[in-house]
Amino acid sequence: MLGNKPKALAKFWRSSTTRFILLVFGIELILAASITLTLRGLTRAELQTDARAYAARMAQDIGRAYRTGDQQATQEAIFMRLVFSEGRTAIALLADKKGMALAGNLDRWPMGLQAGWNEIHLSRPGKKETEHIGVLVTPLPQGAKLLTGQILEADKRLSAILDRATGTALIFALPLALLAALAAVRIINARVDDIAETANAVRAGHLSKRVGLDGSGDTFDRLGATLNAMLDRIEALISELRIVTDGLAHDLRSPLTRLKARLDQAAKAEDTGRLQSAVAEADHEADRLLDMLTTALQISRAEAGIGRDHFAPLHLNALVDDLAELYGPLAEDRGFDLLVTANPCPAIDGHRELLSQAISNLIDNALKYGASPLCLTTGATDTSCWLCVEDHGPGIAPDAHAEALRRFGRLDPARTGFGAGLGLSLVAAVARLHGGHLSLSDAGPGLAVRLVLPRPATDQGFSTAAI
Amino acid sequence: MTQKILLVEDDATTAEFIIKGLSEQGLAVDHAKNGRDGLFHATDGSYDAIILDRMLPSMDGMAVLHAIRAAGIATPILILSARGAVEDRIAGLTAGSDDYLTKPFAFAELLARLRLLMKRAAGPASSVETILACEDLEMDLLARRVKRSGRPVDLQPREFRLLEYLMRHKEQVVTRTMLLEGVWDYHFDPGTNVIDVHVSRLRKKIDTQSDATLIHTVRGAGYRLGAGE
Repeated sequence: MLGNKPKALAKFWRSSTTRFILLVFGIELILAASITLTLRGLTRAELQTDARAYAARMAQDIGRAYRTGDQQATQEAIFMRLVFSEGRTAIALLADKKGMALAGNLDRWPMGLQAGWNEIHLSRPGKKETEHIGVLVTPLPQGAKLLTGQILEADKRLSAILDRATGTALIFALPLALLAALAAVRIINARVDDIAETANAVRAGHLSKRVGLDGSGDTFDRLGATLNAMLDRIEALISELRIVTDGLAHDLRSPLTRLKARLDQAAKAEDTGRLQSAVAEADHEADRLLDMLTTALQISRAEAGIGRDHFAPLHLNALVDDLAELYGPLAEDRGFDLLVTANPCPAIDGHRELLSQAISNLIDNALKYGASPLCLTTGATDTSCWLCVEDHGPGIAPDAHAEALRRFGRLDPARTGFGAGLGLSLVAAVARLHGGHLSLSDAGPGLAVRLVLPRPATDQGFSTAAI
Repeated sequence: MTQKILLVEDDATTAEFIIKGLSEQGLAVDHAKNGRDGLFHATDGSYDAIILDRMLPSMDGMAVLHAIRAAGIATPILILSARGAVEDRIAGLTAGSDDYLTKPFAFAELLARLRLLMKRAAGPASSVETILACEDLEMDLLARRVKRSGRPVDLQPREFRLLEYLMRHKEQVVTRTMLLEGVWDYHFDPGTNVIDVHVSRLRKKIDTQSDATLIHTVRGAGYRLGAGE
């Protein structure tokens, strides 16, 4: 327990929250202090200026009277100024060149005064304590000198009040600043906690949980939105993975069972002929399994975006021509008319091998399940290049189109043959790898599969493209 | 003289399967179970071909390949790999292997490719040849003309390339995937045997007018161009 204390304290100081509170608190404090100090300084400066101006006015007044040479008038001027002192305790003293006091309310010339403004501590006649006085020393003709000014004690009181006010303000400002800091931290914490809670919930398996957004577009909102997008992707991947795992497990079970049965048969075979046929069958089943795994692997790779670094400019029409040439004889043997309609198509960035394989899958499917004629048509829109593979067989019912594109989607009864489900989803995965998509439609009768691939952003135009 | 093959493969079952098959073909096989031993044997240098598994203990297959080539050994190397993506194949070929075969493979495929590699290494490059011939079949590469027993045979461009490939590898077993790679430059399995249809059309044009067939189907492996058995 005891050993934990310094650690806990260290943790407390290291905590960003603590630091943030201190920062906000400190800033608030500095702000409050600087406001009050500035106020005080300004007030003081103003008071001093006022006192000097007053002393100067007095000196001017008395000086003018003195210059007339009328001693009576001078004394009167001094007296008047001392009586009508605008609420201050005015000080005035006229001295001759020897420093003897001639008139005023001080009994003698104070020591150590210089010409101009002086602030001194002085005890006046009849007062025990010294007082703070601001005086202006003005030289007069014939070596006389005049001292005018006021007691600054009154200003001192104002200063004291100001100081008290400052103190009081700070006493209030302190907890207020602390409160403001805590409130700021609470607001931030609430947003961060929401994000952390979401992350925790997702970690605990609630994949559909998302960070709440207030639409303000602030940092937290943007962070939340980014996080949500990431969670969407994770959820999609996980559900995809589930489908794959379920699909694989389901689809592997039957060929594996058949394989086991064939091996059983082989083990119990009584003659060489039966043994050989059982082994051949087993071999065939193993081949199917391997094909399936290979395709599933290719789909996963395409979906993970692997292969994008091998993209190169290519022409869809050239790919289609090559494949039509490859499949031409086979199509003819199977009684298909193979019609290629190549419309001008700009070059696109793509993976030749994967695209060829995808198109070959489409042609192969059409030859297996469709009926003549088989049409391969290419074309381009402003944003994309497309290829349509159209057969005129039984087709797929429109409500089963989505199922056909799903990985391991099985279709009855026309396309239950091995590979149909995987084949189409491989094509769809390849399309997605290229940023495009695959769509199915009814060719009335038959199936039309359209592979749509985006045109590169830097448009090279049709002229270079028409092959 | 018996041809010697070095097999670098850690999986005992696969190794046994390959050794047995190659021995039956009259080839001598040395077997290394890991990359380091494989490299040691390879630097010994007296092999006609090396079969190298890509994933090996103690030293990765690609590292072995780099080391062999860095040592200036030009023995043809065929890589066996469970990784069959185009990118992996390209990586293997650019690193200096001569061929790349994806596991699982048919033994006939391995044998055909191996024989092709050894033949290519033994004979000088035939790129300067302008006339290819096999029995009474003659191909003029410059004039793009084919004659069987002096009679011209009319071929489509692709049929011409298919026949050219077969003639360049005459008397050797050529598998369907080898044709697909060599003639069409596709490295995927198109599912249905499209190649068979092409070959049977070519055969019709080459062989029907004549008594002796030149294009033979090799059961479970592929095709062979040459005189009968």
